[in-house]
Amino acid sequence: MSRGTLVYATQRLLLITFTAIVVSSIVFIGIHQLPGNAIARERRINPATEQALLHHYNLDLPWPQQYAIWLGNLFHGNLGESLVNEGTQITPLLLREAKTSVTLGLAAVAVTIFVGMSLGVLAAIRQNTWVDYVASTAAVVGYSVPSFVWAFLLIILTVTGFYAWSGGQIYEDIGWGKIEQIPVPAIALGLPYAAIVARLTRASMLETIRQDYVRTAWAKGLSARVVILRHALRNALIPVATILGPLVTGIITGSVVIEFLFGIPGLGQEFVTSILSRDYNIVIGVFTFYAILIGLANLTVDLLYPVLDPRIRY
Amino acid sequence: MDAGETLGIVGESGSGKSITALSILNLVPEPGKITGGQILFKNRDVVTMTSGDLLEYRGGDVAMIFQDPMTSLNPVLRIGFQIEEAMRAHSRFDKRQARERVIPLLERVRIPSPKQRARDFPHQFSGGMRQRAMIAMGLANEPSLLIADEPTTALDVTVQAQILELLKELNRELGTAIILISHNVAVISSLCTRVMVMYAGRVVESGPTRQVFDHPEHPYTWSLLRSVPRVDERRHERLISIKGMPPDLSRLPTGCTFHPRCQFKVERCLREEPPLVEVAADQEARCWVLMSNVSKESLAART
Amino acid sequence: MATVVPTALEVPEELPAVAGEELPEQVTLWQDAWRRLTRNRMAVVGLVIISVFILTALVSFVWTPYPTWRQALGPTYQGPTLIHPFGLDDFGRDMLSRVMGGAAIALGVGVGASMLASTIGIVLGLLAGFYRGKIDVVISLLINISYGVPDLLIALILVVLIGRGIQNIILAISVTAWLGMARLVRGQTLALREREFVEAARSIGTKNLKILTRHILPNALGPIVVQATYLVPAAIIFEAFLSLLGLGIPPPAPSWGSMASEGYKALQIAPHIVLVPCLALSLTVLAFNWVGDGLRDAIDPRMRR
Repeated sequence: MSRGTLVYATQRLLLITFTAIVVSSIVFIGIHQLPGNAIARERRINPATEQALLHHYNLDLPWPQQYAIWLGNLFHGNLGESLVNEGTQITPLLLREAKTSVTLGLAAVAVTIFVGMSLGVLAAIRQNTWVDYVASTAAVVGYSVPSFVWAFLLIILTVTGFYAWSGGQIYEDIGWGKIEQIPVPAIALGLPYAAIVARLTRASMLETIRQDYVRTAWAKGLSARVVILRHALRNALIPVATILGPLVTGIITGSVVIEFLFGIPGLGQEFVTSILSRDYNIVIGVFTFYAILIGLANLTVDLLYPVLDPRIRY
Repeated sequence: MDAGETLGIVGESGSGKSITALSILNLVPEPGKITGGQILFKNRDVVTMTSGDLLEYRGGDVAMIFQDPMTSLNPVLRIGFQIEEAMRAHSRFDKRQARERVIPLLERVRIPSPKQRARDFPHQFSGGMRQRAMIAMGLANEPSLLIADEPTTALDVTVQAQILELLKELNRELGTAIILISHNVAVISSLCTRVMVMYAGRVVESGPTRQVFDHPEHPYTWSLLRSVPRVDERRHERLISIKGMPPDLSRLPTGCTFHPRCQFKVERCLREEPPLVEVAADQEARCWVLMSNVSKESLAART
Repeated sequence: MATVVPTALEVPEELPAVAGEELPEQVTLWQDAWRRLTRNRMAVVGLVIISVFILTALVSFVWTPYPTWRQALGPTYQGPTLIHPFGLDDFGRDMLSRVMGGAAIALGVGVGASMLASTIGIVLGLLAGFYRGKIDVVISLLINISYGVPDLLIALILVVLIGRGIQNIILAISVTAWLGMARLVRGQTLALREREFVEAARSIGTKNLKILTRHILPNALGPIVVQATYLVPAAIIFEAFLSLLGLGIPPPAPSWGSMASEGYKALQIAPHIVLVPCLALSLTVLAFNWVGDGLRDAIDPRMRR
């Protein structure tokens, strides 16, 4: 890693911190303008206890003061306490859940890249043959079918289908915690984006396999595999990398639904539960986490560019 | 072609020079196809080679360097690696030798401080240096034949001369045969002992360079020579351009393919395509008329 | 293996449409685009599906085989039969009627959100690109922040706060969806305002509003139409997301997302309850994406891949 890259990464990290603070501040201020919270709405309690609770959460202070306290805590990495489950510290809770979400997300990204690139490369090197038509059609269909539909289809296939087919030997257990429970939600989450990657890879590969340096590679007597993977695909990756950023945001959005359907204890499911119980402290915390995660994902993608294309320097 | 020989292929753009070169490697771009004939290398036909043999032959026995060094090197791989990779793909050198040979090869093509330069990417090289790197890559497996397709066209004049000088030197010292493809008569005559003139995908004249350029027998060769200024020319003749465009290879004219643009055509040229015949010692041409039969007076009248 | 090598002699797949085929009659840009669109097989298939979708939605307002809410029409979870071709759901409601009703909701949400988001995006994008200054700073900032936040979360918060009616859902989707349109229009406006014909209009004293509506907007309309088309399926999927999370249009309204969500509980015994609305939704989204792709290629042939 060069010095320029380090400086660049540092700047970006500062920017991510700044964005995370801005995003969570907007949400904080927005939510505190509105009436109602978990305490006022969900619980029947006597006024004295309620007053004590409000005081406990600083909710009896005017919002600018609340904001100042919250911001001060944020700098110490403290996102406060759950409004519903008194005493539950939000930061460690969300850190644990973020780990789950990141695991699922990374698995989905792996599916996206592997399936998308394989389809794209196959379609490109067999341009205008039935392989190409099938792969290209699969790509449009793939991204028109949302992740939750893939989830249903995969559940039917694995739970009902495999069970019947194997005579009860294979039983897909929907849930989280075991390694073998990762692939199904990850595939469901990744497939729509794999379709987008496939389209881009195909277009990009069609460009690169016509380049002079690929002709040079053939003339050098390299095998087809080396020419296509090392020379054509390596260069075709550069434009494909540009959509990795939006793709990560998309996968995070999709993961909210997928986590909910599969009962995966990640940030997305936490968000849905807390918004329904009006646990705004957690809602704000999830926003902060997502802002940081998306920022870090984009930073990773940007740091990947100079690796993919040596002509780019920071 | 013999070992260690230098052959020039000359002709206008679109005359089939580059396709001929690519055919030698059996690398004709789709939808093109080699439909007939043989390409013999050491008595083996390249057209019918198995794919495994072909991979060993490409870049191993015959190497090729291309017109535009800016686009012919892979932008995302280090120069040294691209050279090493050429050796790794063939069995002549083992892994260690391949790694160790990179720097001497770069040195051989006169790239300064080759040790650092091997770690550079193509965009850090100038045009001339990239062409040198391409040549180093071509020489990596000590091929018996190096095909250079317009190797100097994209470079500026001083660099052109250096690259030609380098090719000449390599031919002399390593005994590598060279096929030089160019539309530039001067480039060919400075390097090649033999020359082949191509028109519309056919060889129209061939022979020792000196002889062909001094006594062209095919009208096309003759007009080609008249269309370029020559420094060594004592008489100052007028430069003339060849009228018309080279024909579309999918719609060739009948008879001699050059007849629509030929100033010396006779009636037979429209009907029958002439065969390639020996016109002088070691010199062949594909023409019914032949320039030696054209009188001085009629020549003067037509220039 | 046949070698795939670069070719310098590549022939374009399809020659560009010859302008002047109908020279005496002036062919407008839009007629030309329409002709190219109808020549695209996928786009035509998409248009047909969309027509069926719209027709179904309209019919469902006046007639469905059974009322969408009528329960206990037969055994619950019953699979497809002659009387109920798509089967019955967990309350014994007719799935065909419900899918038809769902088309109306999807059409309303998709087109409604696309139109609302496009209108906001076009107006603010035009203003930001044309006047620059403070409004541009604010809109660009919003666009940049929006990259860091998943749209779905914002919509979820809004739905919880303002309620789950169809108008509220449309609003919650548009709140983030307009940003993409604004970004597009802003970029187009920035480029167009430097063009000669805008200079010319300004030099003869044309008012700013007229320049925006007569010169800039019409020239940016192509990409806008494409983007608006893509917004429709995006909004339909978005509504389904909300419904699945239990925050979409409230039951018993037969939104495709809530139908799937209800069927999920019985996925193993009665998969048709999930599959029927999922198929309807995927087919509709696919059709809009095909038409969107076709429009993009038809409006700007240079964008062809």
